[in-house]
Amino acid sequence: MAKVLIVAEIKQGILKSSTTELLSKAKSVGAETAVVAIGTDIGSLVPELVKAGSDTQYIADDAGLALFSAGPYAAAVVDAAKQFNADLVWFGFSESGKAVAPRVAAQLDAACATEITGIDLSGEQIEIIRPAITNKVMQRVKVNAAKLVAVVRAGAFEADAGITGSENVVTLSAPQADLKAVIKELVRDASGEIDLTDADVVVSVGRGAKDQAGIDLVRELANDLKAGFGSSRAMVDGGFMAHNKQVGQTGKIVAPTLYMAIGISGAIQHLAGMNGSKVILAVNKDPEAPIFNVADYGIVGDLFEVVPILREEISKLRS
Amino acid sequence: MKILTTVKKVVDVELNMHVKDGAIIEDGLQYVINAWDESAVEEAVQLKENHGAETTLVSVGGGDNTDMIRRCYAMGIENGIHIEDPALEKADSFISARVLQKAYEKGGYDLVITGKQAQDTDSGQTGIILAELLGLPCVSNVVGIEVVDEQHIRVSRSGDSGTEIVETELPAVVNVDVSINEPRLPQMRGIMMAKKKKIEVLDLAGLGTSADEIGSASPKSEVVEFMPTETRQGGQKFEGDVAEITTKVVELLANEAKVF
Repeated sequence: MAKVLIVAEIKQGILKSSTTELLSKAKSVGAETAVVAIGTDIGSLVPELVKAGSDTQYIADDAGLALFSAGPYAAAVVDAAKQFNADLVWFGFSESGKAVAPRVAAQLDAACATEITGIDLSGEQIEIIRPAITNKVMQRVKVNAAKLVAVVRAGAFEADAGITGSENVVTLSAPQADLKAVIKELVRDASGEIDLTDADVVVSVGRGAKDQAGIDLVRELANDLKAGFGSSRAMVDGGFMAHNKQVGQTGKIVAPTLYMAIGISGAIQHLAGMNGSKVILAVNKDPEAPIFNVADYGIVGDLFEVVPILREEISKLRS
Repeated sequence: MKILTTVKKVVDVELNMHVKDGAIIEDGLQYVINAWDESAVEEAVQLKENHGAETTLVSVGGGDNTDMIRRCYAMGIENGIHIEDPALEKADSFISARVLQKAYEKGGYDLVITGKQAQDTDSGQTGIILAELLGLPCVSNVVGIEVVDEQHIRVSRSGDSGTEIVETELPAVVNVDVSINEPRLPQMRGIMMAKKKKIEVLDLAGLGTSADEIGSASPKSEVVEFMPTETRQGGQKFEGDVAEITTKVVELLANEAKVF
């Protein structure tokens, strides 16, 4: 039976849904599962880690792990992988996961695959499916190594509501700090914002919003829906939105239940970041905008007219 | 400071791509410098201009890379090394990283700047594995580089909860995001001068290594086949009276898509 170690995705003390999604997938293919959780004051997460479906919980809990640093995080994952004798190590689709996975693969002499959307453990060799070339093609990749470290693309695996685990906590010793690349400071994103990659609804704003007033208008819609608020690259390059709000192949990849593209034309890099969404609504005044080729529902119109009506109609529906 | 940047020639993702019998149809494809690597080149040139540095690029594979390397020369890179060997045909991230490791060791550098990923594989592994092999500090998804002194840089990394500020000892490897800068367009004078510059083309032996040492015959992973992406079909597009169509779409989102 394959042994899968899943790296828990914890953000500001909260366990993210990817952990359950990855554990659900591992259990569905009959694997033995463990989870490794890394951070500060995370002992209280154990019941949640069990509920998420893990059968062993490796915990690296240390004051020195409060801020992300790829070296010590990789060391903790490698420690857990060796103790568990993991065949597979899976990360959720986070910036920390992307930074740590290749290090772990190099240290475990494992193969490494990022952005995977499917995995087949039934044959002699592991095979994975992943998009490539800005999501223009898919590739089937054969793994020649005995071990595989993988980063799973957002939304690739679904959580099983009936999943269960069992408590078996293993405490890891604190990894050494990286003295050559020292994390000095974390300039946090504005507090109270909903995390793009975890949100059930994402509203993104593009060039059609023109300026700050336009952005604020679209942000109101996002606030009404308690949605994550994202952006196309144009608004980031224009200095209106922060880097980490950019949805697309070069930014965040999202797969919410509902994605609203407001004033976004739909460049391929953007589409590659959101086309896993369940339902897509597009608002654009250009009827030929490529976003309409992927949108389930399209409104051809000026967002300055459409957004206030959208807000009003949605609020009527909810009252 | 000696800076090494890594540059890959990749397929132009703006063009349409078709798959037949498990392979990508080459007809009509064009090849360009990887966008992330172009930002790495720009960053190296800016560091040279602002702090003084010797800049070298290394490119692995890709066939005839003359145009791409000349373009980087025209942007301001001084030296170019192109490593091409038939043994590298099946190179995965680890094999590419081992080749780059040899190139690094041959030249000796203070800073390696790579793009955070290549737009053909979208893997984002090689630069990080290179740092592991070299035992150097590494920061990925970098959106800013500041020189502190001759032994240290301060880099900004776009992380999960915000921007992480990491002070890094040199030599180091950084993997940059495209948002770090706006790559310059080469100017005529640079283009003319670039034509006269040499490109050092090496095979594995010329690099002082061999297929055996690099392990190029045994990649840890290999692509078995390409498949078309499941393309989303556009659904219903409404034009006309904005109030009317917007109301209609909200109703469909609620009753048909059931998202509210």
